[in-house]
Amino acid sequence: MNALRSLFSFPTKAVAAVLATPLALGLLSAGATAQDVAKRWGPTDPASTFGEDFQYLFWLITTLVSVSFAIVCVLLLIPVLRDRAKPGKKAHYDHGSSLHDKRFTAVVSLIVFVVLDAWVLVVAMKDLREGYWNIPAPDDEKTYKVEVLAQQWAWNFRATGADGEFGTADDILSTNTLVVPKDRPVSLNLTSKDVIHAFFLPDMRVKRDANPGAVNIAWFQPVVDGEFDILCAELCGYAHYQMHGKLQVLEKGVFDEWEQEASRLAVAAHDAEDTEAHWAWEWQE
Amino acid sequence: MSGDHIHPEPTSFLKKHVFSVDHKVIAKQFLWFGLIWLLVGGVMAMMIRWQLANPGSPVPVIGGLLFPRTGGVIDPASYNMLFTMHGTIMIFLGLTPVLIGAFGNWCIPLMIGARDMIFPLLNMLSFWTVALGGAVGFYSLFVPLGATEAGWTGYPTLSTTVGTQGDGETLWAVAVFLIGASSIMGGINYITTIIRLRAPGMKWSDMPLTVWGLFFTAVLNVLFLPVIGSAMLLLIMDRVFGTSFYVPASIMSGASGGDPILYQHLFWIFGHPEVYILILPAWGIVADLLSFFARKPAFGYKVTVGAMFAVTVLSAVVYGHHMFTTGMYAMLGESFMLLTMIISVPGEILFFNWLHTIWRGSLRLTTSMLFALGVIFVFGLGGLTGLYLATISTDIFLHDTYFVVGHFHLTMAASALFGAFGATYFFFPKMFGRMMSEKLGKLHFWLTIVPLTVVFCTMFISGYGGMPRRYYDHTSADYLVPLQHLNTITTHSAFLLGAAQLIFAWNFIRSRWWGPKASDNPWEVGTLDWQMPTPVPHYNFKEIPVVKTGPHEFSHPKLGDRDWIPQTEELPA
Repeated sequence: MNALRSLFSFPTKAVAAVLATPLALGLLSAGATAQDVAKRWGPTDPASTFGEDFQYLFWLITTLVSVSFAIVCVLLLIPVLRDRAKPGKKAHYDHGSSLHDKRFTAVVSLIVFVVLDAWVLVVAMKDLREGYWNIPAPDDEKTYKVEVLAQQWAWNFRATGADGEFGTADDILSTNTLVVPKDRPVSLNLTSKDVIHAFFLPDMRVKRDANPGAVNIAWFQPVVDGEFDILCAELCGYAHYQMHGKLQVLEKGVFDEWEQEASRLAVAAHDAEDTEAHWAWEWQE
Repeated sequence: MSGDHIHPEPTSFLKKHVFSVDHKVIAKQFLWFGLIWLLVGGVMAMMIRWQLANPGSPVPVIGGLLFPRTGGVIDPASYNMLFTMHGTIMIFLGLTPVLIGAFGNWCIPLMIGARDMIFPLLNMLSFWTVALGGAVGFYSLFVPLGATEAGWTGYPTLSTTVGTQGDGETLWAVAVFLIGASSIMGGINYITTIIRLRAPGMKWSDMPLTVWGLFFTAVLNVLFLPVIGSAMLLLIMDRVFGTSFYVPASIMSGASGGDPILYQHLFWIFGHPEVYILILPAWGIVADLLSFFARKPAFGYKVTVGAMFAVTVLSAVVYGHHMFTTGMYAMLGESFMLLTMIISVPGEILFFNWLHTIWRGSLRLTTSMLFALGVIFVFGLGGLTGLYLATISTDIFLHDTYFVVGHFHLTMAASALFGAFGATYFFFPKMFGRMMSEKLGKLHFWLTIVPLTVVFCTMFISGYGGMPRRYYDHTSADYLVPLQHLNTITTHSAFLLGAAQLIFAWNFIRSRWWGPKASDNPWEVGTLDWQMPTPVPHYNFKEIPVVKTGPHEFSHPKLGDRDWIPQTEELPA
């Protein structure tokens, strides 16, 4: 009988036990992750020409969205705090179906569309036309072209070398490390050997899928030199989380020296018999 | 029509409780089925979160049992399997059966004054098809190489034999196909029932908004589940019969030049409406609950219905925003961006009408009402963050990061789940004849909404920090190590969120058998379902009621002391 009665009383102990579980798990995991690294609450500083536009638009949207959400919360809280049921008090009888109400709805909708959507849309279109979709001309001397062949689980890169042509002996080949010049547009051709991967340069604010069977195009222009991470952003199987590489951005003089040397070494290492290494394709625009 | 003659109630256990054609029994079957799968999917989420906060440490308590070969540590393959099955289970076997199967079956006939669904046998078949789909999905966990690891989206060529060996992926596709077939059966039934079996006098504008939400969902189900069905068939053929719909010639000898992007189009033509398939019933329920517990008519009823209709139409033409990084034609991308943003207009109208409904009401903050108000908060967060992802130039960075994970969990998971919780607390007394504990219910609400907000808002920060989703271990890349502390925050909040659901499970089970007996109309609302005795008699209505009033006539000035009126009575002149 006591057991039955306890079913109906407020189960303080059960609730306490329920709450204690995550705390216990939390203590277990706190020890496991104690790490001595600088914490970050956002991305690293942008390192490409897209960076400023991205940051601007991101924070513009954040401002608009925060203000909208604050308005919703206030309009939610006022009736919850003010309009609780009290004895003898009746709700205001209103179907909200008058012409006045419909006009009010229409005006608010229009304001929302113009302020939230149209504003963002206009900025985004400008950014796209001037940025992501303003793909640099391939025949421009300044454009540094790279072919990217993704595979489970590595990034293969091919640059033209000194002769400016793909598929020749002096092509600079590398795996998981890509060296590019600072302040020059880097144009990418991406494809995959097996499954879909996504080439993600978080510092450059660039991401593009590498699809098997087709060549995809992307570009960016680094404005900071240094070493940055390359990540895979599309689930590609077992070691998806380990499919990362390094992007090295070099100053003009340093880069030119590196390119000449790398191209010379490439010629020396070229093996006409090794067909596996001859995967270049005709440049796609 | 089923209303013309009444069959006697079946007496055998099998006919009454297992192979029943009664919509009320089928609703309960869907509810138990969905809740059990939600528990399974939830435990998987907990394991995912454990791994992310403690990469490579053995899972406490259940680890040794589930991953004996690694001493309780989740290996990368099992991790991929966990998030794949978590997504599949939550969407197809958890939320869909609860929101659409259970509450669709329960609400539609009772709220429109019908004795049953128009096709009772099809209704039963719909449940047993989804049960078979669930069984196939469950079985796939035990085949050699285990269940699929290709993500719930199952993108080829990873999901073809190029990327995934074993039968797990094939069985997954079969399961999704079966579940889709079940939804189509349900959809046809719901649409026809709502059109043909409304009680005399019930105009379209007299239907509760719950029924409207379910109606639009049924339309989307019937239109778009066939698309995922065909995508799955092609995938099965690629895997089993060696065709190459999705496999390009360049990567597999013998393939005749398929295209993996074709699958993404098919998947998202279905996949985006699927978001609304899950959220529309919740929206309908929320719109009703807000009116019921604010004791005020639903503000702008027809505008609300119009907005839900607009969302239904628009949901079909925005799917491209899932594919901005695939390399689609620039102008196509821009069109999808514009169309996606237009959805915010009907979305905003719904918020406007909900907030207006509770304004100057007489609010009864029951647990159902708290969850309905919670949807406004949670969907507000989720819906507004959609703007970042609709905008191509910000989506390029945020795509496939935790930002997306936070966004879609708040919209299609948390909001739909809140709608389902609100509906469970609300319909429970009529379904099971007993009351759930309000005290535990409120505790459940607060212990859900607070950690839930922390979990998914932290994911927004991780995503903005550039943390990709579906990573086994974020500490493996230098760029992500400084973000690891966010994983710890998310995980701890997720554990609290998960534990709080045990309060719900306890409340549900205890109240089901030992709760206090419910009166016929404990919430004092006017819709037809609450005008009948509890428990609801076999064949619902001895006499089909005649509807004379709308569903939300609360606090009419001439009603006197009682602030509500049954839909079967006429408003005082």
